[in-house]
Amino acid sequence: MTCEELIAHLSSYIDHEMDAALVAEVQEHIAHCRNCRVVLDTTQRLIVLVHDEGQRIIPAGQRSALFERLHQAFLNRPQTSDDSAV
Amino acid sequence: MPGPIIDLTIYENEEMLLAGLRRRDPDACACLIKRFAPLVYAQAMRLLGDADEAEGVLQQTFIKACDRLDTYEGRSGLSSWLYRIATNEALMHLRQRSSRIDLDDVAETIQEDELPQRLTPWTFDPAAAALNSELRTTLEQALATLPETLRTVFVLRDIQGLSTEETAAALGLGESAVKVRLHRARLRLRELLSAYMQEY
Repeated sequence: MTCEELIAHLSSYIDHEMDAALVAEVQEHIAHCRNCRVVLDTTQRLIVLVHDEGQRIIPAGQRSALFERLHQAFLNRPQTSDDSAV
Repeated sequence: MPGPIIDLTIYENEEMLLAGLRRRDPDACACLIKRFAPLVYAQAMRLLGDADEAEGVLQQTFIKACDRLDTYEGRSGLSSWLYRIATNEALMHLRQRSSRIDLDDVAETIQEDELPQRLTPWTFDPAAAALNSELRTTLEQALATLPETLRTVFVLRDIQGLSTEETAAALGLGESAVKVRLHRARLRLRELLSAYMQEY
């Protein structure tokens, strides 16, 4: 497997969407190719990083004015017929 | 006029907040907003890349969430549920756009300029340390430079954690297109963040 072929298949390898024969070829390549090992490792780190970041509930911070407006819009929202029945 | 100060500790956990929402406690909806609006807004911004549209999605998401509370079964957790509503709202906005799509942005193969150039290992280990605000900003900026066709797939697959099949259905694409676009987005983002990680 060449470096270019490995890069083309990188996501399939990371996502476990590759058949066993190709997986073996990838592993053999990265065992000997420092550059492809770095690309694989940094891509995997990127995926972990963005996944964790997406799940994190960040503090309101500079957007607090926006959330305050949203909150006010809710408080001032007309009651639905269902609400008024309660 | 500033709004009332909502004490987030009124509800100790999600179940208690949910119970409050169902009892229609006046503070519960406000508490839901305070707790989850940043998450919803961030997701809308990532998908749309436009602050005004993201604000619209934020409003619609909470209006729909409060209206649908009776049908929410609580299986997925409030944040996942809100994420899903926000994503659907944002995708509706995207479909209404008639933006011109560059042919390179929908290419079914890796482009020459997407091949890895930066080959320095990252010292930053996301499994061991949280992002600081500088790195978070760098990430969001890098994401914003991706064309919409690649960004939407990346956000749904790698940030939101949808499967290839779910992403394909959400975007009206074939699964192979989702896979290629995800791969291209990862390569581009890896390159962009590598520039920063070298100095980190």
